[in-house]
Amino acid sequence: MIKVILQTLSIVAIPLIIAAFVAYAAKKKVPVYESFVAGAKGGFEVAIKIIPYLVAMLVAIGIFRASGAMEILVKLLAPIANLIGMPPQVVPMALLRPLTGSGSLGLMADTMKRYGPDSFIGILVSTMYGSSETTFYVLAVYFGAVNIYRTRHAVAAGLIADAVGMLGALLICRLLFG
Amino acid sequence: MLNYVWIGLVLIGVLAAASTDIYDASTNRYRNGQPFELQYNSTTAMNGTVSYSREYYDKFYGVDVDSPDTISCRADLTGSFINIYTDNDSPKIWKIVAKTDDNSKLITAKVLSQHGNMMTILLPTTSLVKTKAVLDAVISYSELAVKIALGLIGVMAFWLGIMKLAEDSGMIKIIARVLKPVMVRIFPDIPPDHPAIGAMIMNMAANMLGLNNAATPLGLKAMEHLESLNTHKGTATNAMITFLAINTAGLTLIPATAIAVRAALGSKDPTIILMTSFFGAGLATIAGIAAAKILQRLKIYRIDDKLDGNPPESEGSN
Repeated sequence: MIKVILQTLSIVAIPLIIAAFVAYAAKKKVPVYESFVAGAKGGFEVAIKIIPYLVAMLVAIGIFRASGAMEILVKLLAPIANLIGMPPQVVPMALLRPLTGSGSLGLMADTMKRYGPDSFIGILVSTMYGSSETTFYVLAVYFGAVNIYRTRHAVAAGLIADAVGMLGALLICRLLFG
Repeated sequence: MLNYVWIGLVLIGVLAAASTDIYDASTNRYRNGQPFELQYNSTTAMNGTVSYSREYYDKFYGVDVDSPDTISCRADLTGSFINIYTDNDSPKIWKIVAKTDDNSKLITAKVLSQHGNMMTILLPTTSLVKTKAVLDAVISYSELAVKIALGLIGVMAFWLGIMKLAEDSGMIKIIARVLKPVMVRIFPDIPPDHPAIGAMIMNMAANMLGLNNAATPLGLKAMEHLESLNTHKGTATNAMITFLAINTAGLTLIPATAIAVRAALGSKDPTIILMTSFFGAGLATIAGIAAAKILQRLKIYRIDDKLDGNPPESEGSN
């Protein structure tokens, strides 16, 4: 029931928001068309501005992924994963999630294909995917758009959030599904 | 800190690639120069299939693969060469050989001898696998970055247009007023009536509903508003970092992508993860906000006034 409401909501939300904003602006006698165009002009500029930041971030991540460093890291981390009760099959997900959206999506699909979506590992890996965002993409794009290069504690805070998200996913899945 | 992460990713990547390649070369992992025996069954004059037992493959490469007992691939003969078409079910090493050979799924091997069905072939020399992969990644990921950025233009323009409407009509202020008590606590540095508050709320709402396309432009708009309050250009403010910590936690009511993939793979209950990932991302959000608030007090993360107004030279053109 909640599921259906949520799914419907996510579909009708955008048209509803658009209609509400346009209607309210019209009521307030805002020159709607002109105002929209004036705002939309920024779209190109923002997209171009983030390119260098995105190239820097994605290339570094690409090198890291292609090099096979991930496999080495997974092996090194196996004892720690074992200690906290994390199945070794989901360790790559925990490491990859903050780095790449498409990469972790592929990894989630691959892991579920191998172990079955309704197995403990399948549920855990999809929960982990849903428990976080691609931290480094968000940092590159958001800071890039306003030319911020001294990011202070942003990386640390983002990675702490990721780590807690991954551990939270593990905890809840262990509690509910064994 | 992003500096160190960047250096780490690049250097660890290159070093790992180089050492893997050296190790593979010293153990001759790809068995360069060693003849491989297999069966060739022709269906027409030129087309057919090659097959070999898993046992032979495991012994040849000294591995233990998890694949069917007999491995077969489509193949065709051209003169003294055989083209072998690997697919998703092909064993790992053959996939790597094919990819490194000419960046496709095709292996062109030399036929050394043929007696009836039995054939002895020489696979192409495979070396510097990881280094080549790194090289490919540099090019393809640069292209991907531009593709992503350019792909954003349309949606970005649309949502920035809608946001401008909402600002001009005062709608953003109304939204901001409703959630003011919460926002004031999370973002004490931002004046409660500032448009940044409204934009951040809009971004978070879009994230909650799983509307990624809308969330990014709205978030970038919020960043612009936050930047207008920034007195140290080029340095992130506390509010920005808290805002990004919330964003990177990715709290959403409907993890639509994960559910879609689960459904596609034949799950009996694809939405079973609704609750679990809400829990995980909820904890992540709380941890992110807490971490941002605690870390901002540390000396190493304080804003350094000496840096003020002296951006590094590379940024001088901005």
